[in-house]
Amino acid sequence: MHDLIQRLVARLPLDFRVLYGQFLLRVIDLEALSIQADVPGFLGQFAGVLIMLSLVHSVVTYVGYVYITEAHERMAFLLHIQHYLIATTMLVVGLATVISWDATFPDRRDVMVLSSLPIAPRTILLAKMAASIGVLGLAVFTLNVASGLMLPLILGAQPGPVLGQFQSIPAWWFALIAASAFLYGSVLTVQGFTALLLPRRIFLRLSAFLQLAAFGVFLGVYFVQPSLTTPAALAAPGNQWILASSPSYWFWAMFNQMNGTLPAQLFWVAHRAWIWLGLAVSGAVLSMMLCYLRTMKKTVEEPDLVPGAGSFSWVPRVGNSLQNAVAQFSIRSLTRCRQHRVAYAFYLAFVFALAFSLLRTETAATAPIPLSLVLLAPTFLMMLFAVMGLRNVFSLPISLTANWVLRTTQVRPPEKYVAATRATLLLFAVAPAWLLSAALSLRFRPVIQVAGHLVVLALVGCILAEVCLIGFYKVPFTCSFLPGRANVQLTFWGSVMVMFTVFIPCMQFEQSALHEANKFGFLVCILVGCALALFAYNDHRGKSAVIHFEEIPDEVITTLKLNA
Amino acid sequence: MLELRSVSKRFSGIAAVDDVSFSARAGEVTGYLGPNGSGKSTTMKMITGLIERSEGHIFFQGKPIEDDLIAYKRRLGYVPEEPYLYTHLSGAEYLTMVAQLRDLPARQSAERIDGMLRLFSLHGDRHASISGYSKGMRQKVLLIAALMHNPQLILLDEPFSGLDVASSLVLRRLIQELAARGKVVLFSSHELDTVERICSRVVILHHGKLVADDSIERLRSLMELPTLEKIFSQLAVEQDTDRMAREIVDLIYA
Repeated sequence: MHDLIQRLVARLPLDFRVLYGQFLLRVIDLEALSIQADVPGFLGQFAGVLIMLSLVHSVVTYVGYVYITEAHERMAFLLHIQHYLIATTMLVVGLATVISWDATFPDRRDVMVLSSLPIAPRTILLAKMAASIGVLGLAVFTLNVASGLMLPLILGAQPGPVLGQFQSIPAWWFALIAASAFLYGSVLTVQGFTALLLPRRIFLRLSAFLQLAAFGVFLGVYFVQPSLTTPAALAAPGNQWILASSPSYWFWAMFNQMNGTLPAQLFWVAHRAWIWLGLAVSGAVLSMMLCYLRTMKKTVEEPDLVPGAGSFSWVPRVGNSLQNAVAQFSIRSLTRCRQHRVAYAFYLAFVFALAFSLLRTETAATAPIPLSLVLLAPTFLMMLFAVMGLRNVFSLPISLTANWVLRTTQVRPPEKYVAATRATLLLFAVAPAWLLSAALSLRFRPVIQVAGHLVVLALVGCILAEVCLIGFYKVPFTCSFLPGRANVQLTFWGSVMVMFTVFIPCMQFEQSALHEANKFGFLVCILVGCALALFAYNDHRGKSAVIHFEEIPDEVITTLKLNA
Repeated sequence: MLELRSVSKRFSGIAAVDDVSFSARAGEVTGYLGPNGSGKSTTMKMITGLIERSEGHIFFQGKPIEDDLIAYKRRLGYVPEEPYLYTHLSGAEYLTMVAQLRDLPARQSAERIDGMLRLFSLHGDRHASISGYSKGMRQKVLLIAALMHNPQLILLDEPFSGLDVASSLVLRRLIQELAARGKVVLFSSHELDTVERICSRVVILHHGKLVADDSIERLRSLMELPTLEKIFSQLAVEQDTDRMAREIVDLIYA
């Protein structure tokens, strides 16, 4: 088998093979991934995590299928699992597309290096597409390696001949590949036509925001869209808009259509999948071909020095000059550096998913909604993700080599730096999350209780900001968590779990306190006390702290000591 | 006056700077010379406080710099050897951030930044991202950042790197003017011709050790050599440069 593959590969043109090898290692957006990314290592870890997920899916589904005996419950379970696996595959492909953003386009380096060599643009295009498809294919295959072989037999189980059971395997894999191709093709089509229609400079700026928007949409849709688990729910007129607008349901319908298990009244959903698949693939091919013909020239003509946005790049002022410096540096780092933007978008996606779900509740209601955990829980979680997420992203350094300037200009005591970081957290995490919550609270009643909740939420935001500052004697974006010193993701999710366990009883207490003035006063006093105590603690510790700036380690003179 | 007394820096036990003592006086430009790897930049970083000394003391205006590091940093301007900057910021944003970090009054710093950007011919590109700047433009940003707070001590590590001829000529005059106004200027460069023109005295380092510390005039007369280049070659260059050049060409033709 290995020899056969080797022989087939050897038949491909040498220039294609060389370029494919190079582009494969560059598919992952290094900037979006980390400062010093190890791409092969990352791909290996990525595949390992997905295989593990696939095994978990298989076991859970098999156990669920075996233990559920009621026919209608089993049907609901199967519908849920089918849609869940397709939606999860689409999410993983979407995230892989975000990470490999721009990988299919020729960048300036490619054009400058390759345009002087005798290589046709179509070879570059094909090699780039092959590399991107290789990574996406790896994601789809590993995510479904176990479930995609075992589950179709369960998912498509029908009475009939044994061979009939196996038709669901190709149907399942085709539906997964079609869903992935649709998503990848759609992204390429949008990118390609944007590149064609806009001046290159504007395209490059917009592309960064499109990447962010795609990231948010993929995560938001995945978490927000409801699961229709019964034939009645699928047929309900109120749910038809979900079927019409959700691609994961289109490809779920496509699978069932090919498997022969789709009710006739849902054929139109499967037809949508076919139509949009065709549009996405043809759009991608067309836009890419035109792009390679036109944008390669544009890339060469691109000036080295691109004028900036000028004085338009306004950033709010927060306090003294140090607070301004830190806040402006933070927001510029967050908005201009892809790695940081994508990392924060991950947390913001949760915030927006919660906001959308709350908004949906409000728009579905015909009358003012009584205040309950329906408002309290999402707003607390939005605050939690906004603050903890920003604190987490603070630990991704921008440029360690440039940190010298912060050290040589450190002319103020360390507690001032702590105060500046606090101001940044309050301005860019607590305040936006609070304002969003306030806007989403407008339809809840009584107003006095909503106002009370917003007071509590503001205090919780301040407490979270102070919690984030404990031990953080750094300027945001100047220090990283080095491997072996701390596991930032573990810390983050550990903190979220702790917060969850603390929040649930607190929210229940708040709900009852909003009905009793004395209890509410007590709650506010406790929260103000906590916030002040944490503020005093951080301020006191900050006075004796040493602001830590991480830099590339000094060059060390080493010797082999051959004479010793 | 800046004074180094028996300053040493060791990396893993190996001396990069070994027992170096010299002083740089106000009103003078002190040249700090040495071949690659001789310890010049390491010394500069120790003077700025970016790296710790292994031994010795550094005094500024007669006081150890660590006595009041914040006050010392307020009076220090530093141009590093490599133009490492936060490239996601524009030139104007970077300089504004440095002014804010230095706690300079907003209006005054804005005027100074604007004026210096004009004088350094960067005003038209002030809103462009530093990532698109040429090496010379980055060097100008570093120079403005080092000078805009009117420092008493100016450390220039290869400040001419990447500058065009016109900018280099301006910088030469600028360094002399700053010294004439009473600043302490320590200037490191490989351009011996420039050093000879603008420095009153030179300190020469070789393998981390001080091999000369005197005025250029006295070195010329003491060593009976006509130029700084000859003095430097005798003190700090070990290879026979003519023979080495011939061998390289021979290798190319082989």
